[in-house]
Amino acid sequence: MNKKVILVGHFGVGKTSVVQQFVYSKFSEKYLTTIGVKIDKKLVKFDGYQMTLLIWDIAGETEQNSVSKSYKLGSHGIIYVFDLTRPSTYENLEGQIEYLKTLLPNAPIQILGNKKDLISEEEFNSVKESITLPFKATSAKTGEHVEEAFIDLAKAML
Amino acid sequence: MSKGLAFDKLREILLEKDWEEREEFAQKLSDLDDQLNSRNRLEEKIQPILDDERESLRHRFPDLFGPQITETISKQIRESQDEVVEALYPILGRMIKKYITSEIEKLSEKVDEQMKLAFSWEAWKIRIKAWFTGTPQKNMIISKLIEPKIEEIFIVEKQSGMLMGSFSKNHSVDQDMIAAMLTAIKAFVEDAFKGETQELDSIDYDNYKIVIKNFKSFFIAVVTSGGMSMAFRDKLDDTLLDFAEKVLRKAKDADEEVKQERITSGLEQYFDNFDKNE
Repeated sequence: MNKKVILVGHFGVGKTSVVQQFVYSKFSEKYLTTIGVKIDKKLVKFDGYQMTLLIWDIAGETEQNSVSKSYKLGSHGIIYVFDLTRPSTYENLEGQIEYLKTLLPNAPIQILGNKKDLISEEEFNSVKESITLPFKATSAKTGEHVEEAFIDLAKAML
Repeated sequence: MSKGLAFDKLREILLEKDWEEREEFAQKLSDLDDQLNSRNRLEEKIQPILDDERESLRHRFPDLFGPQITETISKQIRESQDEVVEALYPILGRMIKKYITSEIEKLSEKVDEQMKLAFSWEAWKIRIKAWFTGTPQKNMIISKLIEPKIEEIFIVEKQSGMLMGSFSKNHSVDQDMIAAMLTAIKAFVEDAFKGETQELDSIDYDNYKIVIKNFKSFFIAVVTSGGMSMAFRDKLDDTLLDFAEKVLRKAKDADEEVKQERITSGLEQYFDNFDKNE
């Protein structure tokens, strides 16, 4: 079973690093901005199922409605990534998720607060209090909760 | 004690520390002199500093001198174009000559192979066709060598970019990834050059051409090699339309796996002998 998953969010939040960690178990400190879209593929196995994820890592934008719809259409699942260290990347989180839900009503959404390794527990708790939507705190650097996020999304896409 | 002796004693007592310091200083000066005047000892001291500086310069060289070097080279090229051409011409000329020679060799080998089959049924067909059409036989052989061939076919869901079925002669690429990338390229081009109903219908690269046939919910990408003729394109279009109507329409309601199987076997049936019938 093949499924299309898109990764969206502001630029520089670590979308490409999350994919690199999930697909290749690699992390690089270098920042290379994504131009257009980058596609990767990974087979995931869970609860006796096998699913091939075609992961579309879409170039970051401040507002989701300013990104071309073409790359997103036909997606079976969405991963929205924000940066726990940059409030501007989650200030309008509800609005961005609402837009994605309208565009792809049947696609489950997984929200990731990335760069967990860069903040203290106190700072994390303060960010957590300011966000009303449920999210997973991930670190593309250490791999914390990255695989789990994709597997949860895969289960929701069944 | 005489006055003079007492004075000497007093001087000795008062200046004893100064004498010691003076001797120590003289020793240090002598060591330094020795180090400065002995090449080996001087090198021993200075070499590590020079090594550090050299290493640091090596790392900083592009930043420190890159712009000036680029500017100097650009200026030199601008001001001495004839000299540059003169210097490059033999190298480029040799490269071009080598490439052409190798291509001619390849063509010659292929012509030889064809000639060896001179008494085959295929050769007699060419002779008869050449006689009837008035086209020289060698031209017909060459056109046969570069005749278009189908290398791969991808049936792709239009919005998601998911592969619905494929046909390949070599199975050398990850077909799911190719289908997704083709969709992304199509989406990029169609977004960038917005036209109400305009869609990307071909991509050229090297000796290959990807012909894209757009339908409502899917598109078919056919990778071809060789020289695309109008007759080949017409035949391909007709076959694709027939395939879409007879195979894809019937398969569209089946579940994913069955659909993929039906499409793939349909593609084999339609396109396995497509080039041979040409």
